[in-house]
Amino acid sequence: MKLFIFAIGGTGSRVLKSMIMLCAAGVRPVDANGKPLQDVELVPIIIDPHKSNADLKRTERLLSAYGTIREKLYGKNANANGFFATKISSLKEVVSSTQVPLDDSFIFNLAAVENYKFRDFISYNTMNEPNQALTSLLFADYQLENKMSIGFVGSPNIGSVALNSIKDSNEFKAFANVFADGDRIFFISSIFGGTGAAGFPIIVKNIRQAKNIDAKNKAFLQKAPIGGLTVLPYFSLMESDDKQDKRIDNADFIVKTQSALEYYNNTLTGNGRNAVNAIFYLGDHGHNSPYAYDPGDKRDQHDPAHLIEMVGAMAPFKFMSMSDSELSDPATGEPLPTKAFEYGLERDTDFVDFSCFGQETRSMIYRPLVKMHLLYIFLRTGLDGIIGQGFTEDAPKITREFTGTQFYRVLTQQFFDSYIEWLTELLHNRRHVTLFNEGEMDMNKAIHKVLTKKGLFGNKKVDNDVFKAEMNRLSRDNNRYGSNPELKLMDLFYTAAEKIITDRYNNLN
Amino acid sequence: MRDKVIFLIIGAVISVLFWFFSAVLYEAIYYVNGFSQFMYNDGAYGIVALITIAMTWGMAAIYYYLINSVKFDRWYHWLSMLGITCLLTPVVCFFVIDARMDGLDYGTYSFSFVLHNILVAAIMFVIASFSMRWWSSNCRHTPIPQ
Repeated sequence: MKLFIFAIGGTGSRVLKSMIMLCAAGVRPVDANGKPLQDVELVPIIIDPHKSNADLKRTERLLSAYGTIREKLYGKNANANGFFATKISSLKEVVSSTQVPLDDSFIFNLAAVENYKFRDFISYNTMNEPNQALTSLLFADYQLENKMSIGFVGSPNIGSVALNSIKDSNEFKAFANVFADGDRIFFISSIFGGTGAAGFPIIVKNIRQAKNIDAKNKAFLQKAPIGGLTVLPYFSLMESDDKQDKRIDNADFIVKTQSALEYYNNTLTGNGRNAVNAIFYLGDHGHNSPYAYDPGDKRDQHDPAHLIEMVGAMAPFKFMSMSDSELSDPATGEPLPTKAFEYGLERDTDFVDFSCFGQETRSMIYRPLVKMHLLYIFLRTGLDGIIGQGFTEDAPKITREFTGTQFYRVLTQQFFDSYIEWLTELLHNRRHVTLFNEGEMDMNKAIHKVLTKKGLFGNKKVDNDVFKAEMNRLSRDNNRYGSNPELKLMDLFYTAAEKIITDRYNNLN
Repeated sequence: MRDKVIFLIIGAVISVLFWFFSAVLYEAIYYVNGFSQFMYNDGAYGIVALITIAMTWGMAAIYYYLINSVKFDRWYHWLSMLGITCLLTPVVCFFVIDARMDGLDYGTYSFSFVLHNILVAAIMFVIASFSMRWWSSNCRHTPIPQ
């Protein structure tokens, strides 16, 4: 199953970033029996005309790092188990045809939009006088003058016009052609801004009306299971230094949300519409940190990760785990009435740790994230000292040169730097998400509020030697890794961590 | 796996051969009239060989399967076990030989003989190590990686 994920706007990129972290940790969609789904492939498509948006760039870099690491581990194989198990491909990678020219990027090419001012995009100057008057009623002057390369500055009325052109793009045609029976679509967007709030219904509309487009799989597309994560206000903005600049105003967030929800109800999710099979609502009003004001042209929109984004990143997994019969009528294939989901912490607090999540969330993320964090500590503090001993000497050998490979550098520097940045941002946001103790490299104390079990002589110990011993044991007479030391390292650690976590920690899952 | 079993079999065969030809070997490396004749007639060479085999294989087994620690898996840890073996084996052999002397005054020769036996013990420890190390979870690459 391919899941095409349309990550729209800044929130789309930020949620996608959290999702990559979960995928890297080994979080996978499971079936009703808790077994990981097979042949899952994620195809993120980022839609954001604001290309200089730092959150978008960070997510794109992370996707690239993920792809580099995963390909070295599992090649093109969709099925894997362990860290980086879920295959994530760009649209170009899944499009076999070379007829449609595509950028090899996760970012949707919006050249038809982003190169223009909105005024020019709608050919305002060539309109007749009554149409200009009508347009001026619908759009404020600053909206008409808006350069769309900075996004839609919180104006869904711009987005709804501009993004309608997406259906004519090469990317959309390629997507429509490659979409196959059994594939699904998921949208990630905020509802209180401009790009996401407008993009979600526009693209859903174009998908459901696929009969009008030239695509061989349009029949599948029209009945495609569609899920959406709609993020309600979860942050606020500081006032602009320029008091006159009110292009984005906190005060509008709730009103815009109400209006958009009403619109979604009428077009997407309401009774008889069923354009979306499942929708996930998330919001955190009142527990938000004000971010620096930026309508797109003030700073680089480098916003810190937030609990909502991490929780939102689980929605696509939940959606994939739903059976076809939960989403569509088995007889006709038509979408069933939209299933709506909300999310709540088991314990509402500003200081969130693993214990604050409900059982379902803990089951999904606790062990994978703990494994990844222990891997981070092990690679930063342990591996270098044990090269030449134990499992590193079993074939395929992990030599000193291994630490200079592209795989190792991307994993330990690029990826883990982003991982720590992500954890740090989660921690220092208004909702302090403390999954792991900041800066703690002692495995016994690294997991927040989780200690090791009592043993005969005090608490059981977890350190690099414990991992080394377990990996040594697992590696003995293990011929599974062929000539792939990268896979050997990651798989041995993943398997060892499973046992060590079970045996030695007082776990919270 | 097959290679490892072959190493074990070769080690075992060498040890048996050593025990079987212990008198010839020991007289080749240390021969003194009177003392050597006593050792030969008493069958003490075979006993010393058995002790040497037991000590070296036993110490190797302790290192690879009882200690078997990631904190004790470097070549110098193995070398220290070899050193201990080379220290203990002559001591045990000396007292066993001395107990069999029954009033004969070959103490100096016994001492000299067991010192020569250190070389044999060292070689046997290496053979025992390379025979059994493959199945150790933490020390199978000690002293030399596979």
